[in-house]
Amino acid sequence: MVEEQKEAKAKKRVTATKAAASIGPMVKEFITGTLRAREEGKQKLAYTFIVCHHEEILRAMDVIPVWTENFAGICGAKRDAERFLQRAESLGLSRSLCTYALCGIGFDQWREELGQMPPDAPWGGQVRPDFMISSGQILCDPRSKWYQASQQFMPDVPIYNMDLPYPLFQRDRDHREVWGYYHKYIVKQLRGLVDFLEEQTKKKMDYDRLRELVSLSDRTWNLIDETYKLRRAVPCPMGTGDAMNTMVPIAFMMATQRAYDFFVDLKKELEEKVAKGEGEVQEEKYRLLWGGGLPAWYALNDFNYFNSKGASFPAETTYYMVEPLYEMDIPDTKDPIEHLAWRWLGYWTFWYDKAKKRPGSEPDVEWLINLIEEYKIDGVVMHEAFSCRTWHVGLIWQLHQLAKIYKPIPILMTGKDGKKEKVYRELPSLILESDIIDITSYSEVDTRNKIDAFIETLESIRTNKAA
Amino acid sequence: MSEKQRNIFDTVEKYYDDYGLRARELENEGKKIIGYVCSFVPLEIITASGCIPFRMRGSVHEPITKGDTLLETIVCPYYRSCFDLSVKGKYDFLSGLVIPHSCDSMVRSFSVWSYSLPYSYFHFVNVPTVCVESSFEFFNAELNTFRKSLEKLGGKKITDADLAQAIKLHNENRDKVRALYEFRKADPPIISGTELSKVLIVGSSLPIHDANTLFDQVLAEIGRREKSPLKKGPRIFVDGACLDNIELIKLVEEIGGNVVADALCNGTRDYFPKTDVGGDPIDALAHRYLSKINCPKTYRENNSGTFEGDIVSRFGDIGHYAQEFKVDGAILYVYKYCDPFGFEVPAREAYYQSIHIPLLHLEDVYSAGTIGQLRTRLQAFLEMIG
Repeated sequence: MVEEQKEAKAKKRVTATKAAASIGPMVKEFITGTLRAREEGKQKLAYTFIVCHHEEILRAMDVIPVWTENFAGICGAKRDAERFLQRAESLGLSRSLCTYALCGIGFDQWREELGQMPPDAPWGGQVRPDFMISSGQILCDPRSKWYQASQQFMPDVPIYNMDLPYPLFQRDRDHREVWGYYHKYIVKQLRGLVDFLEEQTKKKMDYDRLRELVSLSDRTWNLIDETYKLRRAVPCPMGTGDAMNTMVPIAFMMATQRAYDFFVDLKKELEEKVAKGEGEVQEEKYRLLWGGGLPAWYALNDFNYFNSKGASFPAETTYYMVEPLYEMDIPDTKDPIEHLAWRWLGYWTFWYDKAKKRPGSEPDVEWLINLIEEYKIDGVVMHEAFSCRTWHVGLIWQLHQLAKIYKPIPILMTGKDGKKEKVYRELPSLILESDIIDITSYSEVDTRNKIDAFIETLESIRTNKAA
Repeated sequence: MSEKQRNIFDTVEKYYDDYGLRARELENEGKKIIGYVCSFVPLEIITASGCIPFRMRGSVHEPITKGDTLLETIVCPYYRSCFDLSVKGKYDFLSGLVIPHSCDSMVRSFSVWSYSLPYSYFHFVNVPTVCVESSFEFFNAELNTFRKSLEKLGGKKITDADLAQAIKLHNENRDKVRALYEFRKADPPIISGTELSKVLIVGSSLPIHDANTLFDQVLAEIGRREKSPLKKGPRIFVDGACLDNIELIKLVEEIGGNVVADALCNGTRDYFPKTDVGGDPIDALAHRYLSKINCPKTYRENNSGTFEGDIVSRFGDIGHYAQEFKVDGAILYVYKYCDPFGFEVPAREAYYQSIHIPLLHLEDVYSAGTIGQLRTRLQAFLEMIG
């Protein structure tokens, strides 16, 4: 078997908010909580994926979600993924595939081979599940294939694969023409999940409880949106580096009071910072948008490096997995499952109508334009993770579309008083390249050289504008 | 080789080398040519609309240049090559393009294709990932949406009778391919893998009537053949996604192997399953494309509770073909960055082991530049099993 070596430990990233600093212990508690639950044997544990709008169903059934992408991310952040990736490679899996999945499969194979956790497993390791809930439609191929591959090493663990489609944006079509049958299908898939869980847990779904949890999630969604919008302030009180921590309650704790309370506290903290004029960067010179791509979890310090150059990140599209419910054009229903299905469709089609109104736009581009305008953005940074096609295909093209709007020459625009004025809308962009957890793809020196060059470009534009 | 035989293979050669020649002629005559990628696009609906389905093809000989300025290099290299040729104008005779939900590379790049190419019609067919009752119901509705969009494009209603007629024609096409495969059973095979690949690739660039006529002519010529173009050698099975060029198969046959069967998207995976006739045509198409096409993209539940049972259920067709075509060894040929196939490699390897078929797994990047490396590995493999 492959040599199993750990990488050097990463330096801890400095956070701007207390809330973000509190996340590490919270995540550790998830992991140790699943290990404890396995020992106690009172609750069933399910491997599953984020962004499936099914947390409410799992929690209403007292099933503990084991977020496998989270565990892979932890291995990456602790620079301890390589030995699991090598395990997966030794099974015949290519390093070009999703490295979250490779890490998870490598870990599962090792744990099953040993009959216990692999040596020095991060935070005690990933628990053996009672069952696995996967979901592939539209969002991500590996989500449909990962657990099937892991099942080779634990064939007794059943899988429920849930299809969650949404209508892809097609400029000449109103998505509402088709979403009726999409909704019907998603409802059936979610009800299939309830049936599966009832069979696995030997319990019946408590629909009143489910309704309460769905309501709690909806309130949390709106609260997150209100909280994050406070980052429009200049200077920006919290950046993307912190948001890569505060994504934890969004991705892994939805439908819990704790997630809601977390954002109550974060909102209060940001309001106080805005009132005091405290920014992520005190001398804020450049406001950047993290415009796409999952982060390199082992190199979150790069956000501090940006900060050290006077750059803050008021907004990001990554892990911004909510939209305000009150702005969604979705039908009302008292049935919580039907509501989850509408919320799913409402979320994924949120930018469709706006995108249709702007020539050359499409939903992802429209979202970027909205953030650029609302958050007074000076430049866009993206990360191209080589192993993930789900979130990283289309980014280059999105930048091309943006470049058609934000041109490197001044343009004449009509101001509020009706007079024409010269406006500089140049928007430089930077694409960083590495991976989510495969540290072998990353060079700190090259990355920081690229950042330095990008900052010089931003500075040159700033100087030109001032002149 | 007789005059007639040479003529039909000359025609195949001509259409293979100048891919899209016939489609360009038809476009000049005012026909609407609809491009597609992947076997999940229901061609019968395109044919029933009066348009002509045309399978896009990449080129292992052409470096990817312009395409890489618009689309990430982490996309499946075969698909990147198709995109690259498209943005360079090779397929400008198309009126439209249909992309199905087959993999992330296709889904996530749909906007890039639709904004970068000059075609007037783009459609995305959302193929479910699972194979259960509700997914058939959904897929049925999705196919009707596709049908309506083509009605709008073609300016005519697509009736059930039109669909039934198109299903009949495409089933005939599949029967003819099945008949061509029969000639591979002899040892050595009467038709080489290289020849058959060319015929099938060319067939997917022609209107269904033309393809059926061409296949009939090839069948007639092969039927008259008394001697195999190949010598006896290890009988090789090729497993993988879309192989739209002859390079790999030609290489195997140059070094002494005979390619006799496959599980490829432009081979048995697409050509062997037929559409049921007699019932509702959209139901029948939903059933064929979702249930009968055995692609790793479609998740099939493990009902056996064992890994051994699961791989028999998922890959049993391979075992069946291996037996039917008396296979000695197999090549699992997977493109880099292909998630659906890539994640199945350990399970497929285990399956081949279970049926005692030696296997060579190759990961490749869809480029003629890797032929030298492949030659070395293939030679070693053929020596091992030979």
